[in-house]
Amino acid sequence: CDKKLDQTPISDQTTANFYTQPGDFIQAVNATYNSLLTYPDRQLNLSETRSDNLYAVSDGGVRDWEGINSFHRTIAGNPYVTEAWSGNYTGINRANVLLQKLSEKGESIIADGTLRTRLEAEAKFLRAFYYFDLVRWFGRVPVLDQTVTATEALNIGRSAVSDVYSLIISDLQFAAANLPDAYSTAADKGRATKYAAKGILALVYMTRSGPTYDINGPGLGLNEWGQALTLLNEIIASNKYSFLASYPNIFSYTNENNAEVIFDVQYSTGSNPIVGGTFPWLLAPDAWFQAVGKAVQGGLTIRPISNNLLNSYEAADTRKAFSIQPGFTSSNGVTETRSFFKKYVDLTKVPTNRLDWPINFIVLRYTDILLLKAECILHGAPGTPADVDAIVNQVRARAGLAAITNVTLARLMEERRKEFAAEGSRWHDLVRSGNIESIMTSWIAAEDVQKVMQPFQKNYILYPIPQSELDVKPGLYEQNLGY
Amino acid sequence: QNTTGNGTVTGKITDETGTGIPGATIQVKGTDKRTIAKEDGTFTIPVTTGRETLVITSVGFTRKEVPLNGLTIINISLAGEKNTLEDVVVIGYGTQKKRNVTAAQASFDASRLDERPVTRVDQALVGQMAGVTVKQTSGALGKGFSIQVRGTGSISASNEPLYVVDGFPLTPTGTNAAGNYANGNPLDNLNPNDIEDVQVLKDAAAAAIYGSRAANGVVLITTKRGKSGKTKIGFNSYVGFVERSKKLDMLKGDEWIDRFTEMVNARYVAEYGNKGATANDNNDRRRQVLGVAPGAYNTAYMTDERWTQPGHPGLRFIDWQDETFRKGLMQNHQVSASGGTDVVRYYISGNMARQEGMVKYTDYTSYSARANVEVNANKKLRFGLNISPTYSITNDPGVEGKDNIFHQILSMSPVQEDTMGLYPNVGNNDQYAWSTSTNSPFAKLQYVIGETKRFRTLTTLFGEYQIIPGLSFKSTINLDNTDNDSKSYRPYRIASSKSTRLAQTTLQTSGSFSSFKKMNFVNENTLSYNKTINEVHDIAAVVGFTYNSEKIDNQTLSSNGGFKTDGVITLSGANGVTGETRETKNFLLSYLGRVQYSYNGKYMLSASIRRDGSSRFGENSKWGYFPSASVGWRVSEEEFLKAVPFINDLKVRGSWGKAGNYAIGDYATIPLLKNYNYSLNTVSVIGQAPAGPVNPDLTWEKSETFDAGIDITVLKNRLSASFDIYTKHNTGLLLNVPILWVTGYSNLLANAGETRNKGWELEITSRNLVKGPVQWTTSLNLSHNTNKVLALSGGQNQTIIPSAYGTNVQHSILRVGEPMYSVFVVKQIGILTQDDINKGVALYGSETVGDPKYEDYSGDGVIDLNDRQIVAHPNPDYIYGITNTVRYKGFDLAVLVQGQRGGSIYSLLGRALGRTGQGTVDNALGFFRDRWRSPDVPGAGKVGKAYSTFGQIANTDWLYSSDYIRVRMITLGYDLNRVIKAKKVMQAARIYITAENFFGHDKYKGGLNPDANNTDLSGSTQYLEPGDYGGLPLPKSLILGVNITF
Repeated sequence: CDKKLDQTPISDQTTANFYTQPGDFIQAVNATYNSLLTYPDRQLNLSETRSDNLYAVSDGGVRDWEGINSFHRTIAGNPYVTEAWSGNYTGINRANVLLQKLSEKGESIIADGTLRTRLEAEAKFLRAFYYFDLVRWFGRVPVLDQTVTATEALNIGRSAVSDVYSLIISDLQFAAANLPDAYSTAADKGRATKYAAKGILALVYMTRSGPTYDINGPGLGLNEWGQALTLLNEIIASNKYSFLASYPNIFSYTNENNAEVIFDVQYSTGSNPIVGGTFPWLLAPDAWFQAVGKAVQGGLTIRPISNNLLNSYEAADTRKAFSIQPGFTSSNGVTETRSFFKKYVDLTKVPTNRLDWPINFIVLRYTDILLLKAECILHGAPGTPADVDAIVNQVRARAGLAAITNVTLARLMEERRKEFAAEGSRWHDLVRSGNIESIMTSWIAAEDVQKVMQPFQKNYILYPIPQSELDVKPGLYEQNLGY
Repeated sequence: QNTTGNGTVTGKITDETGTGIPGATIQVKGTDKRTIAKEDGTFTIPVTTGRETLVITSVGFTRKEVPLNGLTIINISLAGEKNTLEDVVVIGYGTQKKRNVTAAQASFDASRLDERPVTRVDQALVGQMAGVTVKQTSGALGKGFSIQVRGTGSISASNEPLYVVDGFPLTPTGTNAAGNYANGNPLDNLNPNDIEDVQVLKDAAAAAIYGSRAANGVVLITTKRGKSGKTKIGFNSYVGFVERSKKLDMLKGDEWIDRFTEMVNARYVAEYGNKGATANDNNDRRRQVLGVAPGAYNTAYMTDERWTQPGHPGLRFIDWQDETFRKGLMQNHQVSASGGTDVVRYYISGNMARQEGMVKYTDYTSYSARANVEVNANKKLRFGLNISPTYSITNDPGVEGKDNIFHQILSMSPVQEDTMGLYPNVGNNDQYAWSTSTNSPFAKLQYVIGETKRFRTLTTLFGEYQIIPGLSFKSTINLDNTDNDSKSYRPYRIASSKSTRLAQTTLQTSGSFSSFKKMNFVNENTLSYNKTINEVHDIAAVVGFTYNSEKIDNQTLSSNGGFKTDGVITLSGANGVTGETRETKNFLLSYLGRVQYSYNGKYMLSASIRRDGSSRFGENSKWGYFPSASVGWRVSEEEFLKAVPFINDLKVRGSWGKAGNYAIGDYATIPLLKNYNYSLNTVSVIGQAPAGPVNPDLTWEKSETFDAGIDITVLKNRLSASFDIYTKHNTGLLLNVPILWVTGYSNLLANAGETRNKGWELEITSRNLVKGPVQWTTSLNLSHNTNKVLALSGGQNQTIIPSAYGTNVQHSILRVGEPMYSVFVVKQIGILTQDDINKGVALYGSETVGDPKYEDYSGDGVIDLNDRQIVAHPNPDYIYGITNTVRYKGFDLAVLVQGQRGGSIYSLLGRALGRTGQGTVDNALGFFRDRWRSPDVPGAGKVGKAYSTFGQIANTDWLYSSDYIRVRMITLGYDLNRVIKAKKVMQAARIYITAENFFGHDKYKGGLNPDANNTDLSGSTQYLEPGDYGGLPLPKSLILGVNITF
């Protein structure tokens, strides 16, 4: 009778009977990719919303993005901030579990050595990806390259930023060396490749090369533009990617996995459980979807685009009309005059379930590789001003704009702002450029007519450590300055 | 008269109504002379002296001793097993003389429940017993009530008691985070008319025999059994109507227009003042300012001209609440038959109940039957079968809860286009431009299908064998099987916006089907021994072994991609279906033992122990011990008190015990994998990873209770009272201990928390008038309970409970030293004046004159989340119930008044309907009438100005007292036999009229039912915090009934 007390779940698998065949390890790496699904929303919430791209003062001040936009000091409990921490550590833990199981019994279970190495490289790529996201939001974060118990975790404090980068770089170097150039089977398309690892690694070097601001942030003031350029050139030289002639085609629902895509977060619609995206509807107010006869999309209010961004587009810039919706009239006649992003929204592809949009989110695309190259050159890496001009003018030509010469760093960053609007890179670009304090300060002065924003301080480059983390063991993690 | 002996005594044994009891045993005390009463109850027995004492026993009746005192003809009436100190009460695994009970146990005599129109057993318990809180958390049909015994001690597990029906422990079921019983309530479909008796084991000494399920108390329910004697046929029937007991004060059409206009004008001037906008601008002028085309409207800045025209042509003012409610017909019919001989006794019944809800398009129908049969196979072997199949059908399209129909009924704009009637934004109707975009909630009531069919059968089979006199073995086999199917269907015509639904008629239709099968199998085996030695030592002992398995199978199916056509409501019409089945089970093995000893009815001692092993718990903690002990001293049996004439009985008691709460998931200690899928090249790929960390030491929550009590009867048994004082210390509470995210997870389920409930209970029964034509009895129960958090996980001092509705709606806290789930918000202290602003009082955001003024609790000069403070706690401090019963000639009148004091509600419904800065279109609570309009018209000083843009912070605006007092029932009955004189045909005939919930008073202005629970406020399964977000008022009913016994 006592045996009855030892029950195993009927409807769920347990860890005891998992990791016993190669397919289990593939499922384990897929679960590690799963943590990417919240990445695009996070870039909208923490990068676009905080930057000078959006003046996201909400109607009634009830939205969670209010404190992010307005530099409230009390955002340590903000769900977006908490998610940035928890989402990344969830992914890191899944990578660590997998890497541990691989080292424990990978050889005995996965006979195919190529597959085994690929899985390890994928896990390391993802772990580095998540740490890189963390270091950009929070600066010093605890670094773990293996799983820990709840008790062990209580003795692990925040690591130095340079230590976080050490793991990121060694992981990405391993990934770059061991991931395939591309995947031969279509079913694997979307997994990290060698060039995804190189591209992210280039961005890591560039980010580390940014100024320190004396805040223990992502910039270490290192001069690694040259290392980054080498990697970027390798990607370009691979000839696996190309510059699409049409800007809208990069984001087309019917042109996913196109030649621009170095790495993206992949989604598809209609599956159970859901593996669709939410970022398209987060961009736009619900009233707009209703005004155009589409299903309710979560009841969100508008996150208006700043006048500064709107006015920065040159008249002929075709990217503006594609990326931005200039207001609308709702079904009951209310006219919304403020603009908002619609870059990823294809109104013919609105899913029945608002959490289930099919469109992939491109993390790194070929245009970015080119513009990052130009940036490295402007920072002193090998290359000429003509190389820079050529890159920028290629981008401008696609947008319908005339060529320019003697592109400066500031001009390059302005071009990036419009090229990558709504793609989540604005805040990181501002931080890397070194000009974030002056740009944000003058922007707030000009734009904040409602006088709801706090004056900008460089401490706001980093987000606070989530309050829930500080509460677990007071004193283990010190809070970032300014909060 | 034969006084010398060697005669016979003849007579008749009857029950209380004078009916003969066939088969009753008549024995001459101290001899082996005995006889059995005949069919009509008569008997003859030889006696020697004529001064002997007769002992009469019969199953189902109280043993009675009658001294003959020389009588040769004697009629003896036996009382049913009730009502006197010699009564036997049901306890865990046995019965006990009531006078020997040493634990805290509350009784409810349910034998006359069939004379009251109650639809559920839990409904009957409202206000009846001290320390037993029965909350009607829903106004919907067929929903379980929430019962708490001596407060709440658990933070994340269930706080509902264990129910035991005729010895069969039913699967304990807590409410889910939304306050509902997702897989049914143990009392569902249990026909109250079949209930004989309810006992609530309140302290651990009484309850600990149920071990790991007893921490929240145990409710023992006994169903009716047949008694030897003539067959009794009972017919109970009632018919009446049910309607709402309360209506929420919302703005009327013209008041809504007034508020809308004020806000639109304020917004228009605020945003276009620099372009010359003034509040007096007409719509033409506004079109110029706004740049709106002629004839077009921007409803954010313009009003409807018809609002100000006499008779508002083309518009209809709708009171949505009035349109929703009705008088529903309710009826219930029961036929029962009982009787038997000393060999076979039976009780059978059939019942049909039908209720139309007070809300239109809702109803509930149930059919139930019961057969309780007992057979004395011979002098040593007894067996029996109780079986009760039931079937019920509930139609409820989903009325209660956030964004459900009733919430929308309340917030729907009261002004609509006349042409649309009650159907704005339905089918071909567009929405009225100034109204909420909600599809008419009235139409949803009408068109949404939500049907639940439940078939439940409770079965108990038992056999009892007397090994030697005093020692018997009993074995029972019990099965509780529930099959529950729910079907829902939402047609496109009440979905989305007009253009979408007309373009996507099939896509916008959705449907689902879900079902569960719940099986609880219990086998219990007990050996009990009862012996009286030398007439002074009473010994009772029981040992036992029990086996318990609980299994739930769930199935869900839902449409995926709309329906193929309009008109088919089952999923056969769906355009693709997704579904899932899940099964879980758990086992509980137990050993139990108890000894009770009483010396001469004066000194009582009882001790019990149970050992439980549950499959739910970890490797290292599968088994646990639950001991208890209690003592009693009947002081009134001592010589020194016997001399005090006005004290009839006095007993003091003390008890201690430990019980457990095993209410966590079936596999909480096993590391599960969960699907974390990803997508590659537009195809979903399966990903799996560990779902969370597990704790192999996880075990039940422990609860330790100390109780001291006194029972006293004085003044010739006219006044009896019981008083208990207790403290219940819960430790090892299952808490999701927050852990660092670097582990990959946010929390780990562990036995971490500690709480204490303290309180006292008083029960008084006073027979105010006993002689004369008027007989009047008053019963009162009053109890006081407070709880306190003693410890949280990991030495934390406090945990702020998350909110399902965003950080700025967080409003409760667990803080060491404070009551559980204390309300933790910013305090509103008035309305901001210019003077306040000039003085620089703390502001929240961009507040201006006329906005609420908040207390700067942190003293830092600004209002923010740091200014939150504990302002209230949810559980009431006092609950009470008073029942008055008056009999006069053929009339009987009973009045039950019940209430609570000292608790609070943090109402998210109140927030939804009455928040600061609430928009124009939703209807708002009536208190907006007395809002601040200008410095000269400051209103009632509580509600700020309508147009307010500073945002909102969780504050005392939405805090209400949960105090209420309610006349729960008034019943007036009349004995028909007095007029129709048909006693030969009908043993009893009574008609009655009952008013339930007709009068009452509460302080809840933000909703309708202070006890309402229908929505998950925390959004987290770690913190059970159900609350009100659109609960119906309690129904009130007026019912006419008849009870006839043949």
